[in-house]
Amino acid sequence: MYIPVNDMLKHFKQDAPAMANITHKSDQWSPYHDNSGTVLAVGIPGAVIVAGDTRLSNGYNILSRDATKLSQLTDKCVLATAGQYADFIALRKFLQQRLQLYEFQNEVQASTETVAHLLSRELYSRRFFPYYTFNLLAGLDENNHGVVYGYDAIGSYDKMTYGVQGSGQELVVAVLDNQLKGYNKINKTIPQTREEILDIILDCFSCAAERDIHTGDNVEILIITAAGTERIVKPLRKD
Amino acid sequence: MFQNKTDYDRGVNTFSPEGRLFQVEYALQAIKLGASALAIKVNDGVVLAGERKLNSTLLEPRSIEKIYEIDTHIACTASGFIPDARTLVEHARVESQNHKFNYGEPINVRALTQIVCDLALDFGESDSKSKTKMSRPYGVALLIAGVSDHGPQIYQTDPTGTMIEYQAKGIGAADEGIQSILKEQYKQDLTLEQAERLAILCLKNVMEEKINNSNVELAVITTAERRYTQRTSEQIQSLIDKV
Repeated sequence: MYIPVNDMLKHFKQDAPAMANITHKSDQWSPYHDNSGTVLAVGIPGAVIVAGDTRLSNGYNILSRDATKLSQLTDKCVLATAGQYADFIALRKFLQQRLQLYEFQNEVQASTETVAHLLSRELYSRRFFPYYTFNLLAGLDENNHGVVYGYDAIGSYDKMTYGVQGSGQELVVAVLDNQLKGYNKINKTIPQTREEILDIILDCFSCAAERDIHTGDNVEILIITAAGTERIVKPLRKD
Repeated sequence: MFQNKTDYDRGVNTFSPEGRLFQVEYALQAIKLGASALAIKVNDGVVLAGERKLNSTLLEPRSIEKIYEIDTHIACTASGFIPDARTLVEHARVESQNHKFNYGEPINVRALTQIVCDLALDFGESDSKSKTKMSRPYGVALLIAGVSDHGPQIYQTDPTGTMIEYQAKGIGAADEGIQSILKEQYKQDLTLEQAERLAILCLKNVMEEKINNSNVELAVITTAERRYTQRTSEQIQSLIDKV
Protein backbone atom coordinates (compact mmCIF):
# COMPACT_ATOMS: atom_id res chain seq x y z
CA MET A 1 0.00 0.00 0.00
CA TYR A 2 1.13 3.52 -0.60
CA ILE A 3 2.41 5.28 2.53
CA PRO A 4 3.10 9.01 2.20
CA VAL A 5 6.68 9.75 3.15
CA ASN A 6 5.72 11.86 6.21
CA ASP A 7 3.70 9.03 7.65
CA MET A 8 6.38 6.42 7.10
CA LEU A 9 7.80 6.62 10.62
CA LYS A 10 4.39 6.57 12.28
CA HIS A 11 3.44 3.54 10.19
CA PHE A 12 6.41 1.52 11.29
CA LYS A 13 6.04 2.58 14.89
CA GLN A 14 2.52 1.15 14.90
CA ASP A 15 3.78 -2.14 13.54
CA ALA A 16 6.48 -2.52 16.13
CA PRO A 17 5.00 -1.68 19.55
CA ALA A 18 8.32 -2.22 21.27
CA MET A 19 9.75 0.62 19.26
CA ALA A 20 6.75 2.91 19.76
CA ASN A 21 8.16 4.87 22.69
CA ILE A 22 11.63 5.47 21.46
CA THR A 23 12.20 9.14 20.73
CA HIS A 24 15.29 9.95 18.75
CA LYS A 25 17.65 12.59 20.14
CA SER A 26 17.39 14.25 16.75
CA ASP A 27 13.68 14.87 17.37
CA GLN A 28 14.40 16.77 20.56
CA TRP A 29 13.84 20.53 20.59
CA SER A 30 17.10 22.49 20.30
CA PRO A 31 17.61 26.08 21.36
CA TYR A 32 20.17 26.46 18.60
CA HIS A 33 19.60 27.13 14.90
CA ASP A 34 22.31 27.78 12.38
CA ASN A 35 21.24 30.69 10.21
CA SER A 36 24.51 30.36 8.32
CA GLY A 37 26.09 32.75 5.84
CA THR A 38 29.66 34.00 5.62
CA VAL A 39 31.50 37.00 7.02
CA LEU A 40 35.06 38.17 6.54
CA ALA A 41 37.27 41.07 7.57
CA VAL A 42 40.67 42.33 6.37
CA GLY A 43 42.85 44.90 8.14
CA ILE A 44 45.23 47.17 6.22
CA PRO A 45 47.22 50.22 7.34
CA GLY A 46 44.70 53.04 7.67
CA ALA A 47 41.54 51.01 7.15
CA VAL A 48 39.63 47.84 7.85
CA ILE A 49 37.24 46.18 5.42
CA VAL A 50 34.38 44.03 6.74
CA ALA A 51 32.00 42.09 4.56
CA GLY A 52 29.08 39.71 5.03
CA ASP A 53 26.49 38.14 2.80
CA THR A 54 22.87 39.04 3.48
CA ARG A 55 21.23 35.64 3.18
CA LEU A 56 19.51 34.27 6.28
CA SER A 57 18.69 30.56 6.06
CA ASN A 58 17.44 27.67 8.18
CA GLY A 59 18.28 24.29 6.76
CA TYR A 60 17.23 24.28 3.11
CA ASN A 61 14.98 27.31 3.50
CA ILE A 62 15.77 30.95 2.94
CA LEU A 63 14.31 33.19 5.63
CA SER A 64 15.57 36.49 4.21
CA ARG A 65 17.69 37.73 1.34
CA ASP A 66 18.32 41.06 3.03
CA ALA A 67 19.50 40.50 6.60
CA THR A 68 22.68 42.24 7.74
CA LYS A 69 25.38 40.35 9.66
CA LEU A 70 27.35 43.53 10.37
CA SER A 71 26.92 45.90 13.29
CA GLN A 72 28.86 49.11 13.83
CA LEU A 73 29.49 49.35 17.57
CA THR A 74 31.69 52.47 17.76
CA ASP A 75 33.04 54.96 15.23
CA LYS A 76 36.04 52.71 14.86
CA CYS A 77 34.83 49.15 15.06
CA VAL A 78 32.32 46.76 13.55
CA LEU A 79 31.07 43.38 14.72
CA ALA A 80 30.55 40.71 12.04
CA THR A 81 28.77 37.54 13.15
CA ALA A 82 27.93 34.18 11.62
CA GLY A 83 25.87 31.51 13.33
CA GLN A 84 22.52 31.96 15.04
CA TYR A 85 20.86 35.22 14.14
CA ALA A 86 18.89 35.52 17.38
CA ASP A 87 22.09 35.22 19.39
CA PHE A 88 23.75 37.81 17.14
CA ILE A 89 20.92 40.25 17.89
CA ALA A 90 21.13 39.58 21.64
CA LEU A 91 24.90 39.97 21.66
CA ARG A 92 24.70 43.14 19.62
CA LYS A 93 22.13 44.64 22.04
CA PHE A 94 24.33 43.82 25.00
CA LEU A 95 27.42 45.39 23.43
CA GLN A 96 25.59 48.51 22.27
CA GLN A 97 24.18 49.11 25.73
CA ARG A 98 27.42 48.40 27.54
CA LEU A 99 29.40 50.64 25.21
CA GLN A 100 26.91 53.45 25.63
CA LEU A 101 27.35 53.15 29.39
CA TYR A 102 31.13 53.07 28.95
CA GLU A 103 30.96 56.30 26.98
CA PHE A 104 28.94 58.02 29.71
CA GLN A 105 31.25 56.88 32.49
CA ASN A 106 34.58 57.39 30.76
CA GLU A 107 33.84 60.36 28.51
CA VAL A 108 35.37 58.67 25.44
CA GLN A 109 34.27 55.88 23.12
CA ALA A 110 35.81 52.52 23.89
CA SER A 111 38.88 51.62 21.86
CA THR A 112 38.76 48.61 19.56
CA GLU A 113 40.98 46.67 21.95
CA THR A 114 38.61 47.40 24.81
CA VAL A 115 35.59 46.25 22.81
CA ALA A 116 37.49 43.09 21.86
CA HIS A 117 38.13 42.27 25.50
CA LEU A 118 34.56 43.06 26.52
CA LEU A 119 33.21 40.77 23.81
CA SER A 120 35.42 37.94 24.99
CA ARG A 121 34.25 38.35 28.59
CA GLU A 122 30.59 38.41 27.56
CA LEU A 123 30.94 35.28 25.45
CA TYR A 124 32.69 33.45 28.27
CA SER A 125 30.07 34.55 30.81
CA ARG A 126 27.79 32.21 28.86
CA ARG A 127 30.26 29.33 28.98
CA PHE A 128 27.55 26.83 29.94
CA PHE A 129 24.87 27.96 27.50
CA PRO A 130 26.89 29.66 24.78
CA TYR A 131 25.94 32.30 22.29
CA TYR A 132 25.88 30.34 19.04
CA THR A 133 27.87 33.03 17.33
CA PHE A 134 31.16 33.01 15.45
CA ASN A 135 32.40 36.53 15.60
CA LEU A 136 34.89 38.83 13.96
CA LEU A 137 35.54 42.19 15.51
CA ALA A 138 37.09 44.52 12.95
CA GLY A 139 38.29 48.00 13.73
CA LEU A 140 40.98 50.63 13.85
CA ASP A 141 43.53 50.48 16.63
CA GLU A 142 45.00 53.48 18.45
CA ASN A 143 47.22 54.24 15.43
CA ASN A 144 44.30 53.94 12.99
CA HIS A 145 45.67 50.69 11.55
CA GLY A 146 43.09 48.07 10.65
CA VAL A 147 42.92 45.11 13.05
CA VAL A 148 40.73 42.02 13.11
CA TYR A 149 39.95 39.91 16.18
CA GLY A 150 38.54 36.41 15.62
CA TYR A 151 36.50 34.53 18.24
CA ASP A 152 35.10 31.10 18.95
CA ALA A 153 31.67 30.64 20.51
CA ILE A 154 32.96 30.92 24.07
CA GLY A 155 35.21 33.92 23.76
CA SER A 156 38.70 32.70 22.93
CA TYR A 157 40.15 35.44 20.75
CA ASP A 158 43.22 36.48 18.89
CA LYS A 159 44.37 39.45 16.84
CA MET A 160 44.71 38.67 13.15
CA THR A 161 45.24 40.56 9.91
CA TYR A 162 42.26 38.89 8.26
CA GLY A 163 39.55 36.44 9.29
CA VAL A 164 36.58 34.50 7.95
CA GLN A 165 33.65 32.95 9.81
CA GLY A 166 30.50 31.09 8.79
CA SER A 167 29.36 28.42 6.39
CA GLY A 168 31.75 29.54 3.66
CA GLN A 169 34.74 29.76 5.98
CA GLU A 170 36.75 26.86 4.59
CA LEU A 171 36.12 27.92 1.02
CA VAL A 172 37.07 31.56 1.54
CA VAL A 173 39.92 31.42 4.04
CA ALA A 174 42.01 29.28 1.71
CA VAL A 175 41.61 31.90 -1.01
CA LEU A 176 42.62 34.70 1.36
CA ASP A 177 45.64 32.72 2.57
CA ASN A 178 46.74 32.48 -1.03
CA GLN A 179 45.90 36.03 -2.10
CA LEU A 180 46.78 38.07 1.00
CA LYS A 181 49.69 36.07 2.36
CA GLY A 182 50.99 34.44 -0.77
CA TYR A 183 50.72 30.91 0.64
CA ASN A 184 51.16 28.23 -2.00
CA LYS A 185 51.57 30.93 -4.60
CA ILE A 186 54.26 30.73 -7.20
CA ASN A 187 54.32 34.43 -8.05
CA LYS A 188 54.04 36.03 -4.64
CA THR A 189 52.50 39.40 -5.39
CA ILE A 190 50.69 40.69 -2.32
CA PRO A 191 47.96 43.26 -3.01
CA GLN A 192 48.71 46.62 -1.49
CA THR A 193 45.86 48.90 -2.44
CA ARG A 194 42.35 49.04 -1.05
CA GLU A 195 40.88 48.51 -4.52
CA GLU A 196 42.86 45.31 -5.09
CA ILE A 197 41.74 43.94 -1.76
CA LEU A 198 38.10 44.89 -2.39
CA ASP A 199 38.25 42.99 -5.69
CA ILE A 200 39.60 39.95 -3.92
CA ILE A 201 36.86 40.15 -1.30
CA LEU A 202 34.13 40.37 -3.93
CA ASP A 203 35.64 37.41 -5.75
CA CYS A 204 35.74 35.42 -2.50
CA PHE A 205 32.03 35.94 -1.94
CA SER A 206 31.21 35.02 -5.53
CA CYS A 207 33.24 31.84 -5.10
CA ALA A 208 31.56 31.00 -1.81
CA ALA A 209 28.10 31.64 -3.32
CA GLU A 210 28.90 29.17 -6.12
CA ARG A 211 29.59 26.25 -3.83
CA ASP A 212 27.93 27.04 -0.48
CA ILE A 213 24.13 26.93 -0.68
CA HIS A 214 23.83 29.10 2.43
CA THR A 215 25.84 32.02 1.02
CA GLY A 216 24.38 34.34 -1.59
CA ASP A 217 21.85 37.08 -2.43
CA ASN A 218 23.99 40.17 -1.68
CA VAL A 219 27.33 41.01 -0.12
CA GLU A 220 27.43 44.03 2.17
CA ILE A 221 30.83 45.68 2.64
CA LEU A 222 31.80 48.29 5.23
CA ILE A 223 35.10 50.16 4.95
CA ILE A 224 36.15 51.85 8.20
CA THR A 225 38.75 54.61 8.13
CA ALA A 226 39.58 57.49 10.44
CA ALA A 227 37.49 59.65 8.12
CA GLY A 228 34.35 57.54 8.52
CA THR A 229 32.49 54.49 7.29
CA GLU A 230 31.68 53.67 3.67
CA ARG A 231 29.07 51.06 2.67
CA ILE A 232 28.95 49.08 -0.56
CA VAL A 233 26.38 46.44 -1.51
CA LYS A 234 26.86 44.12 -4.47
CA PRO A 235 24.56 41.36 -5.72
CA LEU A 236 25.44 37.66 -5.50
CA ARG A 237 23.83 34.52 -6.87
CA LYS A 238 20.28 34.11 -5.65
CA ASP A 239 19.98 30.34 -6.06
CA MET B 1 29.81 78.40 62.19
CA PHE B 2 27.39 76.66 64.49
CA GLN B 3 24.08 75.14 63.37
CA ASN B 4 21.01 75.42 65.60
CA LYS B 5 20.27 72.05 67.13
CA THR B 6 16.81 71.04 66.12
CA ASP B 7 14.85 67.82 66.17
CA TYR B 8 15.71 67.20 62.54
CA ASP B 9 19.22 66.00 63.24
CA ARG B 10 18.08 62.69 64.67
CA GLY B 11 17.05 60.84 61.56
CA VAL B 12 20.01 60.03 59.36
CA ASN B 13 18.21 60.78 56.13
CA THR B 14 15.64 63.30 57.30
CA PHE B 15 15.65 66.71 55.64
CA SER B 16 15.28 69.74 57.90
CA PRO B 17 12.71 72.39 56.94
CA GLU B 18 15.53 74.51 55.49
CA GLY B 19 16.51 71.61 53.26
CA ARG B 20 19.60 70.38 55.13
CA LEU B 21 20.73 66.86 55.91
CA PHE B 22 22.26 67.44 59.30
CA GLN B 23 24.01 64.10 59.61
CA VAL B 24 25.87 64.72 56.35
CA GLU B 25 26.86 68.19 57.53
CA TYR B 26 28.08 66.79 60.84
CA ALA B 27 30.08 64.21 58.90
CA LEU B 28 31.80 67.08 57.11
CA GLN B 29 32.89 68.37 60.50
CA ALA B 30 34.58 65.06 61.24
CA ILE B 31 37.02 65.78 58.46
CA LYS B 32 38.12 69.00 60.10
CA LEU B 33 39.40 66.95 63.03
CA GLY B 34 41.56 64.73 60.85
CA ALA B 35 45.30 64.82 60.26
CA SER B 36 46.38 66.86 57.26
CA ALA B 37 46.77 65.40 53.81
CA LEU B 38 47.37 66.94 50.39
CA ALA B 39 47.80 66.20 46.72
CA ILE B 40 49.47 68.23 43.98
CA LYS B 41 49.21 67.75 40.22
CA VAL B 42 51.91 68.88 37.79
CA ASN B 43 52.58 68.02 34.16
CA ASP B 44 55.07 65.32 35.16
CA GLY B 45 52.73 63.54 37.55
CA VAL B 46 50.91 63.69 40.89
CA VAL B 47 52.27 63.91 44.42
CA LEU B 48 50.39 62.74 47.51
CA ALA B 49 51.46 63.53 51.07
CA GLY B 50 50.02 62.91 54.52
CA GLU B 51 50.85 63.66 58.13
CA ARG B 52 51.20 60.71 60.49
CA LYS B 53 49.98 61.85 63.89
CA LEU B 54 52.24 59.83 66.19
CA ASN B 55 50.61 59.88 69.61
CA SER B 56 53.35 57.96 71.35
CA THR B 57 57.05 57.38 70.85
CA LEU B 58 56.35 53.69 71.39
CA LEU B 59 54.19 53.21 68.31
CA GLU B 60 55.59 51.97 65.00
CA PRO B 61 55.25 54.86 62.51
CA ARG B 62 55.01 52.57 59.49
CA SER B 63 51.84 50.96 60.87
CA ILE B 64 49.98 54.21 60.31
CA GLU B 65 49.13 54.15 56.63
CA LYS B 66 48.14 57.52 55.20
CA ILE B 67 48.47 56.96 51.47
CA TYR B 68 46.63 54.02 49.89
CA GLU B 69 47.38 52.46 46.54
CA ILE B 70 44.13 51.77 44.67
CA ASP B 71 45.69 50.49 41.46
CA THR B 72 49.15 50.81 39.95
CA HIS B 73 48.14 54.12 38.39
CA ILE B 74 45.81 55.55 41.09
CA ALA B 75 46.31 56.26 44.79
CA CYS B 76 44.52 58.25 47.46
CA THR B 77 45.01 59.93 50.79
CA ALA B 78 42.33 60.57 53.39
CA SER B 79 41.40 62.80 56.26
CA GLY B 80 38.75 62.25 58.90
CA PHE B 81 37.46 58.97 60.25
CA ILE B 82 40.13 56.64 58.87
CA PRO B 83 38.31 53.28 59.19
CA ASP B 84 35.67 54.69 56.81
CA ALA B 85 38.49 55.53 54.42
CA ARG B 86 39.59 51.90 54.41
CA THR B 87 36.10 50.77 53.39
CA LEU B 88 36.02 53.22 50.51
CA VAL B 89 39.53 52.31 49.39
CA GLU B 90 38.68 48.61 49.43
CA HIS B 91 35.62 49.27 47.28
CA ALA B 92 37.70 51.37 44.90
CA ARG B 93 40.30 48.59 44.61
CA VAL B 94 37.68 45.99 43.77
CA GLU B 95 35.93 48.19 41.21
CA SER B 96 39.25 49.05 39.59
CA GLN B 97 40.01 45.38 39.06
CA ASN B 98 36.45 44.79 37.88
CA HIS B 99 36.95 47.36 35.17
CA LYS B 100 40.22 45.74 34.16
CA PHE B 101 38.50 42.36 34.04
CA ASN B 102 35.70 43.52 31.80
CA TYR B 103 37.48 45.99 29.56
CA GLY B 104 41.14 44.89 29.67
CA GLU B 105 42.35 48.44 30.43
CA PRO B 106 43.14 50.55 33.52
CA ILE B 107 40.15 52.54 34.77
CA ASN B 108 40.40 56.29 34.37
CA VAL B 109 40.61 58.46 37.49
CA ARG B 110 37.31 60.24 37.04
CA ALA B 111 35.32 57.04 36.55
CA LEU B 112 36.91 55.49 39.64
CA THR B 113 36.16 58.59 41.72
CA GLN B 114 32.54 58.53 40.57
CA ILE B 115 32.28 54.92 41.73
CA VAL B 116 33.56 55.90 45.20
CA CYS B 117 31.15 58.84 45.35
CA ASP B 118 28.23 56.56 44.48
CA LEU B 119 28.63 55.01 47.93
CA ALA B 120 28.52 58.29 49.82
CA LEU B 121 24.77 58.78 50.00
CA ASP B 122 23.87 55.12 50.07
CA PHE B 123 23.17 55.07 53.78
CA GLY B 124 20.08 54.66 55.88
CA GLU B 125 17.85 51.86 57.06
CA SER B 126 18.20 48.69 55.03
CA ASP B 127 15.25 46.32 54.84
CA SER B 128 15.68 42.57 55.03
CA LYS B 129 15.34 42.12 51.26
CA SER B 130 18.08 44.41 50.01
CA LYS B 131 21.77 44.41 50.80
CA THR B 132 22.70 45.81 54.21
CA LYS B 133 23.67 49.46 53.92
CA MET B 134 25.81 51.80 55.96
CA SER B 135 23.67 53.23 58.73
CA ARG B 136 25.36 56.63 58.59
CA PRO B 137 27.35 58.80 56.19
CA TYR B 138 31.07 58.17 55.72
CA GLY B 139 33.05 60.59 57.88
CA VAL B 140 36.02 60.98 55.58
CA ALA B 141 37.23 63.05 52.64
CA LEU B 142 39.51 61.46 50.06
CA LEU B 143 41.96 62.96 47.65
CA ILE B 144 42.10 60.51 44.74
CA ALA B 145 45.09 61.11 42.48
CA GLY B 146 46.27 59.23 39.45
CA VAL B 147 47.38 59.21 35.82
CA SER B 148 45.28 57.90 32.95
CA ASP B 149 44.76 58.66 29.28
CA HIS B 150 43.39 62.04 30.36
CA GLY B 151 46.73 62.84 32.01
CA PRO B 152 47.41 63.40 35.73
CA GLN B 153 44.27 64.24 37.74
CA ILE B 154 43.27 64.87 41.36
CA TYR B 155 39.72 64.66 42.71
CA GLN B 156 38.41 65.41 46.16
CA THR B 157 35.45 63.45 47.51
CA ASP B 158 33.50 64.18 50.68
CA PRO B 159 30.58 62.73 52.68
CA THR B 160 28.06 64.45 50.42
CA GLY B 161 29.32 62.46 47.45
CA THR B 162 30.52 65.56 45.63
CA MET B 163 33.59 65.17 43.47
CA ILE B 164 35.63 68.19 42.50
CA GLU B 165 38.79 68.17 40.40
CA TYR B 166 41.71 70.18 41.74
CA GLN B 167 45.20 71.10 40.63
CA ALA B 168 46.34 71.08 44.24
CA LYS B 169 44.37 70.54 47.46
CA GLY B 170 44.86 70.06 51.16
CA ILE B 171 42.34 68.47 53.52
CA GLY B 172 42.10 67.97 57.26
CA ALA B 173 42.59 70.15 60.32
CA ALA B 174 45.02 72.49 58.61
CA ASP B 175 43.41 72.60 55.19
CA GLU B 176 43.20 76.40 55.16
CA GLY B 177 46.88 76.72 56.02
CA ILE B 178 47.85 74.29 53.26
CA GLN B 179 45.58 75.98 50.70
CA SER B 180 47.12 79.40 51.34
CA ILE B 181 50.65 78.06 50.81
CA LEU B 182 49.56 76.23 47.66
CA LYS B 183 47.81 79.31 46.27
CA GLU B 184 51.06 81.28 46.56
CA GLN B 185 53.54 78.72 45.36
CA TYR B 186 51.78 76.25 43.10
CA LYS B 187 52.37 76.34 39.34
CA GLN B 188 51.29 73.67 36.87
CA ASP B 189 54.71 73.41 35.23
CA LEU B 190 56.67 72.70 38.40
CA THR B 191 58.90 69.66 38.09
CA LEU B 192 57.93 66.60 40.06
CA GLU B 193 60.74 67.24 42.54
CA GLN B 194 59.62 70.84 43.04
CA ALA B 195 56.10 69.58 43.66
CA GLU B 196 57.40 67.09 46.22
CA ARG B 197 59.32 69.85 47.99
CA LEU B 198 56.19 72.01 47.98
CA ALA B 199 54.24 69.17 49.57
CA ILE B 200 56.85 68.78 52.31
CA LEU B 201 56.87 72.57 52.83
CA CYS B 202 53.10 72.60 53.32
CA LEU B 203 53.23 69.83 55.90
CA LYS B 204 56.23 71.36 57.65
CA ASN B 205 54.40 74.65 58.11
CA VAL B 206 51.12 73.24 59.40
CA MET B 207 52.26 70.31 61.53
CA GLU B 208 52.45 70.78 65.28
CA GLU B 209 55.35 68.36 65.69
CA LYS B 210 58.66 69.00 64.00
CA ILE B 211 58.65 67.29 60.61
CA ASN B 212 60.92 64.28 60.20
CA ASN B 213 61.21 61.33 57.86
CA SER B 214 58.87 59.08 59.83
CA ASN B 215 55.95 61.34 60.70
CA VAL B 216 55.07 62.11 57.09
CA GLU B 217 54.27 59.89 54.14
CA LEU B 218 54.94 60.82 50.50
CA ALA B 219 54.15 59.08 47.23
CA VAL B 220 54.19 59.95 43.53
CA ILE B 221 52.70 58.66 40.27
CA THR B 222 54.60 59.92 37.21
CA THR B 223 52.92 60.75 33.91
CA ALA B 224 55.61 58.81 32.07
CA GLU B 225 55.32 55.50 33.88
CA ARG B 226 51.87 55.67 35.50
CA ARG B 227 53.20 53.69 38.41
CA TYR B 228 52.59 54.32 42.14
CA THR B 229 55.89 54.79 44.02
CA GLN B 230 56.13 55.39 47.74
CA ARG B 231 59.07 57.54 48.85
CA THR B 232 61.47 55.95 51.36
CA SER B 233 62.47 57.64 54.61
CA GLU B 234 65.86 58.49 53.08
CA GLN B 235 64.23 60.19 50.10
CA ILE B 236 61.85 62.07 52.40
CA GLN B 237 64.77 63.16 54.58
CA SER B 238 66.67 64.59 51.62
CA LEU B 239 63.54 66.55 50.60
CA ILE B 240 63.13 67.88 54.15
CA ASP B 241 66.77 68.99 54.10
CA LYS B 242 66.21 70.94 50.88
CA VAL B 243 63.10 72.73 52.10
